[in-house]
Amino acid sequence: MKVLEVTHLQKSFGAIRAVQDISFSVEAGEVFTIIGPNGAGKTTTLEMIEGLVTPDHGEIHFGDMNWGNHAVAIKMKIGVQPQSSAMFDLLTPEENLDLFATFYDKARPTEEILELINLTEHRKNQVKKLSGGQRQRLAIGLAMISDPDIIFLDEPTTGLDPQARRHIWDIILELKKLGKTTILTTHYMEEAEKLSDRVCIVDQGNIVTIDTPSALIEKLTKEREVRLAFLDGEEAAKVADVFANQLDSVSRTERDGSTLKLWTIKPEDTLLDLFKFTKEKEYQVEQVSIREMSLEDVFIAFTGKEWRD
Amino acid sequence: MSNFKQFKKMFSAQLKLTLREKQAWFWGIFFPVILMVIFMVIFSGSSDDEFQSEIAIVADNPNPVSEMLLTQIDQLPILDVKSGEPVSRNTAEQWVKDQEVDAAIVLPESAEDTSFVLVVNKEDEQGVTTQALSAILDKIVQQANLSAVGATPTYDIQFESVTASTNELNYTDFLLTGMIALSIAQGGMFGMVDLVEMRRKGLIKRLRMTPAKMGIFGLSDMVMRLLFSIVQILLLSLIGVFIFGASLYINFFSLTIVFLIGALSFNALGYLISSFSQTQNAYMGVANIVSFLMMFLSGVFFPIETMPDWLQPVSNILPLTYFAEGLRDSMVYETGIFSSTLWFGIGVLVIWGAITFLLGSWLYKRKSIVATR
Repeated sequence: MKVLEVTHLQKSFGAIRAVQDISFSVEAGEVFTIIGPNGAGKTTTLEMIEGLVTPDHGEIHFGDMNWGNHAVAIKMKIGVQPQSSAMFDLLTPEENLDLFATFYDKARPTEEILELINLTEHRKNQVKKLSGGQRQRLAIGLAMISDPDIIFLDEPTTGLDPQARRHIWDIILELKKLGKTTILTTHYMEEAEKLSDRVCIVDQGNIVTIDTPSALIEKLTKEREVRLAFLDGEEAAKVADVFANQLDSVSRTERDGSTLKLWTIKPEDTLLDLFKFTKEKEYQVEQVSIREMSLEDVFIAFTGKEWRD
Repeated sequence: MSNFKQFKKMFSAQLKLTLREKQAWFWGIFFPVILMVIFMVIFSGSSDDEFQSEIAIVADNPNPVSEMLLTQIDQLPILDVKSGEPVSRNTAEQWVKDQEVDAAIVLPESAEDTSFVLVVNKEDEQGVTTQALSAILDKIVQQANLSAVGATPTYDIQFESVTASTNELNYTDFLLTGMIALSIAQGGMFGMVDLVEMRRKGLIKRLRMTPAKMGIFGLSDMVMRLLFSIVQILLLSLIGVFIFGASLYINFFSLTIVFLIGALSFNALGYLISSFSQTQNAYMGVANIVSFLMMFLSGVFFPIETMPDWLQPVSNILPLTYFAEGLRDSMVYETGIFSSTLWFGIGVLVIWGAITFLLGSWLYKRKSIVATR
């Protein structure tokens, strides 16, 4: 079931065409991630969907509701965590949640949210005394207070340390378990790969591609990078290099001292042949690794841009 | 959730926000109190501080004329005769030299002698005390002259022009009401900085993402501000009345109207400033300039009449002038609601409030600050 459908969204600010033509739909219960470089139009797209910015062109439908006729009803149904994570700094997490709860027809109990975002311990500290990660968790908590069906998280982990990021991942996975639909933007490929059901790559106000993370990687290339390190030094690596180049599945090789890198479309077969060879020669292999392609590679392949965090 | 329930929650949040904001306490409560206390201590003091002077009397050869003058001097409360009786000329001159007394009055040596001598320290020759003493003495001589030719003395009347205790009391009332006007005005002008902060941090945008009724939110904010101002009025009035002896005759109905219109009007001015200030610092800069100009040009500390003529037209268009006057009328002179001066002042405040509010709203809309930031 489609819970959100946007068609041909366009928005310009003066001469800048922030969003040129964006269409997609989001299924109930999925984590839908929008990635793209800074200025790609991610936030503008989100703000149009959230009802903050009116599109120049295009339509936004939440089921059978739209902003023109059902603004309050839509606001009741969605939860938003904006990038700025704005809240009342002089109030405590508990008070912030209580206050936001009064805005909605229905609300989840404050204790439940505090538990979910792991802030029960800090519920009586003023927000200004919280750490960045705690603030961010509270911002997500505020987005969840009305028990919304659709939750928008705009770069929820930007600027957080790995530990804090993992906390937020847990919350997002928890939401998924509850059957909520999450629309996420992020700077971190690892995050998009780990959390999303589908990824939408946006560049220069247009959608480049939409698919599941694994399908996107699949689409990109079948080639894998394999790396072997030899205990017997440069000589062994040199001999293995010559052997590997004779294999059909190997497209190219690269050698650096006692380390050999090779690119192959059939990593299992290549490795089997290589190990047979080293066994024969009685070379000892110290390390073997196969590098997985990541979304980062997909991104670079599709947009032609280096990824910057 | 019902509107009233939402209002109650929002109000309780506003209350907590205000109570926890140290700046609000400093500028809203501590600062006006200190400012008022300083001005009252410097410029009015308590009523014991009337003009009073300690003098020495020299009457080396008591005679009927000197006896008569001595009795008259004794009756003057503002002249305190050291040691309570005449002393020798040498002692008196020594006291003057040592500045133990302000002056020595040498009474006529005989009934035929018609001249007084006023002995003062060289250092004090041009001093106010000396001039006052000489004026007093002059009066006494005139009286003596008049009685010598049998005219009716008008002693007491002439005397009251010298002591001025009733004016001092008026200044306390004047300053008290001026300070109340100033603190409420500043509350409005500086208070709206919250709006700039909320906008800068994206809090307004955040609230617009929820179905929260922004009208109720604004109302709860306004009610909070008005309550804070009422606390200011009470506190300043209590200090003024009980410590500095101000006397208030309040017409509560007029006061309520003046207070509401004035507070709303200055909040509208703050709203206008917030509409074009991007940062807290920019806001505070503008608010400080506006507040400083008004502070000294609106008859808060000193009556407008004491200012140079060319400046008075400026005062006559400033809202604080009318707010302070309105508060004075309703708190000190017990002016009823049917006074035309009161309504003229209220009218000026309404015009200020309406223009600044409309201009502010227009700027907010035009730059669509809320929508794009």
